[in-house]
Amino acid sequence: MKSKMIKRHSKVTIFMHWFNAFCWFLLLATGLGLIKNEDLQLMGGWWSNLMYSIFGSGETLLLVHEICGLTWLVVFIVYMIFGSRKYVIPFLKQVFTYSPATDLKWLIKKNIQMTLGNKWLKRLGFTPDIPDQGFYNVGQKLFAVASILGGIVIAATGIIMFLSNILLQNTAIVQWAIVIHFVAVGVVTGGLLVHIYMAAISPDERPAFFSMFTGTVPEDYAEHHHKLWYDEIKSAEGKEHPSTSSGQVA
Amino acid sequence: MSAKLDTAISRRSFLKWTGAATAATAVGARTPVLHALVPSEENTASGKVEQHFSVCDMCLNKCGLIARVEKGVVTKLDPNPKFLKSRGMLCARGNAGIAQLYDPDRLKYPLLRKGKRGEGKWQRLSWDQALDYAAEQMKKIGDKYSRCGMLFSPGSDMQSTFVHWFAEVFGSYNVTTHESACLLSRNRAYLDTFGEVPFSDVLHSKYIIMAGANRFEALITPDSIDLMSTKKNGCKLVVLDPRYTKTAALADEWYPIRPGTDMAFFLALTHVIISEKIYDQTYAAEKLYGLEQLSEHVKQYSPEWAENECEIPAKDIRRIARELAAAAPIAMVYPGRRTSDYVNSTQIRRSMAILNGLLGNWDRPGGLLAARQVGLSKVELPEAPWYEDNPDDRLDMGRAHMMFEEEGSFKHMRDAIIEEKPYPIKGWFVYKHNPLQSEANRQRTLEMMEKLDFVLTVDIAMSDTAWMSDLVLPAPSYLERQDPASGLQGSSACACVVTRDPVVAPLFESKPVVEILQGLANRLELAEYFDFSIEGYRKQQLRKLPDAERALKKDGVYYNPSKLYGVYEGKVYKTKSKLIELYNERYAQMGVPPLPVYRSPRQVPSGRFRMVVGRNAYFTHCTTQNNALLHELMPENSLWIHPKPASALGLKEGDLVEVGSAAGTGELKISLKNGIRQDTVYMASGFGVLSKDLTNIYGKGACIAEILEDYSDELSGNMAMHETFVRVTRKVA
Amino acid sequence: MKMQLAMVIDSSSCIDCKGCMAACKVENNVASGHWRNWIKLQDPDFYNQGLQGDASAMHFQPGNCMHCDNPTCVQACPTSATYKDDNDGTIKVNKKLCIGCGSCIPACPYGARYRHPEEKVVDKCDFCERRRARGELPACVTTCPTKARTFGDLKDPNSEVARLLKSNKTVKVFNRQTDTQPNIYYMSMTAPIDWPVKAETPAAIQLWKVINPFVYGFVGLNVLGVLAMLGKQLLIKDDPPEAEHK
Repeated sequence: MKSKMIKRHSKVTIFMHWFNAFCWFLLLATGLGLIKNEDLQLMGGWWSNLMYSIFGSGETLLLVHEICGLTWLVVFIVYMIFGSRKYVIPFLKQVFTYSPATDLKWLIKKNIQMTLGNKWLKRLGFTPDIPDQGFYNVGQKLFAVASILGGIVIAATGIIMFLSNILLQNTAIVQWAIVIHFVAVGVVTGGLLVHIYMAAISPDERPAFFSMFTGTVPEDYAEHHHKLWYDEIKSAEGKEHPSTSSGQVA
Repeated sequence: MSAKLDTAISRRSFLKWTGAATAATAVGARTPVLHALVPSEENTASGKVEQHFSVCDMCLNKCGLIARVEKGVVTKLDPNPKFLKSRGMLCARGNAGIAQLYDPDRLKYPLLRKGKRGEGKWQRLSWDQALDYAAEQMKKIGDKYSRCGMLFSPGSDMQSTFVHWFAEVFGSYNVTTHESACLLSRNRAYLDTFGEVPFSDVLHSKYIIMAGANRFEALITPDSIDLMSTKKNGCKLVVLDPRYTKTAALADEWYPIRPGTDMAFFLALTHVIISEKIYDQTYAAEKLYGLEQLSEHVKQYSPEWAENECEIPAKDIRRIARELAAAAPIAMVYPGRRTSDYVNSTQIRRSMAILNGLLGNWDRPGGLLAARQVGLSKVELPEAPWYEDNPDDRLDMGRAHMMFEEEGSFKHMRDAIIEEKPYPIKGWFVYKHNPLQSEANRQRTLEMMEKLDFVLTVDIAMSDTAWMSDLVLPAPSYLERQDPASGLQGSSACACVVTRDPVVAPLFESKPVVEILQGLANRLELAEYFDFSIEGYRKQQLRKLPDAERALKKDGVYYNPSKLYGVYEGKVYKTKSKLIELYNERYAQMGVPPLPVYRSPRQVPSGRFRMVVGRNAYFTHCTTQNNALLHELMPENSLWIHPKPASALGLKEGDLVEVGSAAGTGELKISLKNGIRQDTVYMASGFGVLSKDLTNIYGKGACIAEILEDYSDELSGNMAMHETFVRVTRKVA
Repeated sequence: MKMQLAMVIDSSSCIDCKGCMAACKVENNVASGHWRNWIKLQDPDFYNQGLQGDASAMHFQPGNCMHCDNPTCVQACPTSATYKDDNDGTIKVNKKLCIGCGSCIPACPYGARYRHPEEKVVDKCDFCERRRARGELPACVTTCPTKARTFGDLKDPNSEVARLLKSNKTVKVFNRQTDTQPNIYYMSMTAPIDWPVKAETPAAIQLWKVINPFVYGFVGLNVLGVLAMLGKQLLIKDDPPEAEHK
């Protein structure tokens, strides 16, 4: 039987997610391309050369990177101001709430399950039950936290670098900003790769991927993957529409 | 600045424009020229680049230059590669001409003093008002004190000739130039030996003795450049200087000669050359007058005797004499230029001139050269009027035996003005001249000014002299001027004609002095004497040189391929005896030693130091210190002192000291120098200014003119600026 | 590289008139308090040596960016905003790309670079690129009274610099610990010679070089994790997730 769809993400959330994703790709691509120094670019010169040939010159590459970065920052600041009550604070609440005991269990079991499978989970002596998760699972929360903190650091250091030859006279602060910017990007990028796999490639999470377009997930998916959230919704519904216990959306 | 003329808007350009717009509004109150002070990339990006010839005026050399003008702004001054006299170069000062043109401290409009002299309170006048006032004052002085009641200082510029002319038609004989703070001793000595003042063929010489002249810092073209070339070609350079100057540093031998004893050295060289008969006896018989008397005279001046006086070892004196004689006639004792040092400076140079005569280098390669033909014609001007009530002579007449009438003696003039004897002078017209910094004893010059009812200074910046004047008139820089033609002697490089046409239009309300003088002439019924244009004047000057105008337009210079060596071939010398006068009869007749008689300079009292004057390549005398670019090369002056006496005075590097003499005091920091005699100190000129409008240097360093006592040369009246003994005391900061 | 622009300087001709410094400053709008070129000087030893000959006299040594073949400044710039130009061998600064982080400044043993206080990016000698485009020589070369500086293409055997190098003994001035292979040659003796300093990298950049592999390593670990998961997804036929939830 086809499961009923429940609302998971608002249009604003969807927009911010893809806006963020787009900016991130562009910023990552251009940012990596800017590191042309052979000693510092461990990937080799090919990426920089590619970026230079696409964008024409180093200064254009820098300009694109800065414009995109500033746009990203401005939009997020607007989002944080105007969407504070409805979107930002609830989101922050969700991603900063943890139950350490169950979270650790979830992390270990989920990692083994995703890489080795349920058979190995059993063989390694773990029970196959994975702790229930809320709106976001622990992995998603941790990545969100990394993105938020990383994003703040990246934005701040990015602003410093941007202001370097407009306003600043102190070069040491700019040099540190460059390095910290790079490290923060690296950390978030690591998590980003896992996030992309989880969201877009893993068949398990396919409904979640689609929800980033439609805004809805199937009920049974919600029940299976985010039971705690599912339970909340159901009880709220129950309170609202005591007569529609069959679960039809009003 | 980024090289690419990129048309894409970069965010830097965007921000720069916003920033510039904000800055422009903030600064907008000042004149629009200021925006052009720093030509930005935007400014020059799409403009045409123009090139204009001119000649530099940052010092007297007048090096040919090509000015690059972009969108009406002068962005660079480059050497004119065809300018032989400068060997195609432009020094630091030449490059800094742009900073003079766009100097924020420039005089902008006529200023009349409000309040007391030196208070710095000014009232802006229109040109008509200013010229009316000036003419009125000059007429008043002329009526009350005769026309000689006005003193004129014409400066030495390509328009100074008009100031001389104005003085003449106004009717005053009282004209002083800065020459009496400089080269009059040398001129006197060489005129009285060779009949003219020579130039030096440094480039082709094989042995040069340079006493006091500091050619690698006091740049004279082509000598300074040729000196390096000739050294590379094997010429030997021996330098006598109490200071280890850059010339001393690059010499083959340097002797920290006891100041004021140069005559002993040169008489001893002469002694050796004559006694060992290592001179060209045929030449001597033909060309020299008074060799017998000279031979007798120098018998007493042995190298051993000289060693006692000048502290140069006798064996070196002997050796140098032999080397010099061996190289002769392609050898010289360099005549130098600034010879305003000792009370017997003329006689010292006589001893040098005499030795040159003996070397046989006159009018020959590698020696001393006669003036070359340049070919400019004198401009026909109406005869100057005669003023009945004028006194017989100029005011400083008779105070020095052999003063040059055209240059006079500022020191004597100053004394006479203070004394008001034999008659008073009550007015002063100063052009491009700064006696308050250039003449010894600043307090005395101030005293002189107190006697004057009316002081007018025409200048480009508020020099100390302008600061203390009653009326200050703004002149344009050389890059804004059209000038008459001028002839230059480039020794073996060339003889040439130069001129100037404006590179940019005059800034602010500045007026070239010729226009100021025309304005005054019109108001003083002297209009007919200034009824000419610069073009017309120039045409007359060039009337015998048909190729000159074209060459000046095409190359920025005209060369007269006139005779270089052997100018006097078949001719007699312009002396009484028609020969080179080792012995000067006229001196004898005047009661002046006809051969230089050695006199020991005054001993430096214990605990004191002799102050010496000197130049460097970044500044021109006591001007240009405030130039924004040059200022960075030397932000202030310091007292050079040897570490040993310094430590005896409890001084460390950079300590503040008070330097004092009978004339005045000054406070400045010290620089410890191993390369200076222990009894000598030195400081650069041009600092310790009175003028608050020299904003880069006001409050910095000390003024050497304040400290130098006013001695003068007995014969020429040239200022003697190495005769001052100073106290140096540590100042607890 | 097509050309290697360079200078051969006869420092014994230098009279320290500072004409080159002034000309450069005007030509290139160098900021007040900074210089693109310099004249180093060595005082003589008055006490222990006489004043005969080269070694004991005072010496003036003009210099500027040496447009090195082993440029440590280029090696310090994260974005290669400063780079060695392929065409003419000069070390250039792309002022539109430079953000003025200043990492390259201590990396030059000669102190040839400075941060322009107004432009707020790095500035240094570029052998007067704009003048060369007009067919002129660098300002310092043209203005010098004693023509101590000779400028040209080392790779052109007919150039004056190539000829001078061939017919004269020349020395280079460099720091023993950082031989950047400068392209300014001094004819025969010159002094002082030990003044260039060791190239330094700012602490932040040094740290970057150390943790760089760790950052890449971290990302690499994540890639491995993703590949493991992808591998599992494609290769392992898994047991259905029965009773997965408590």
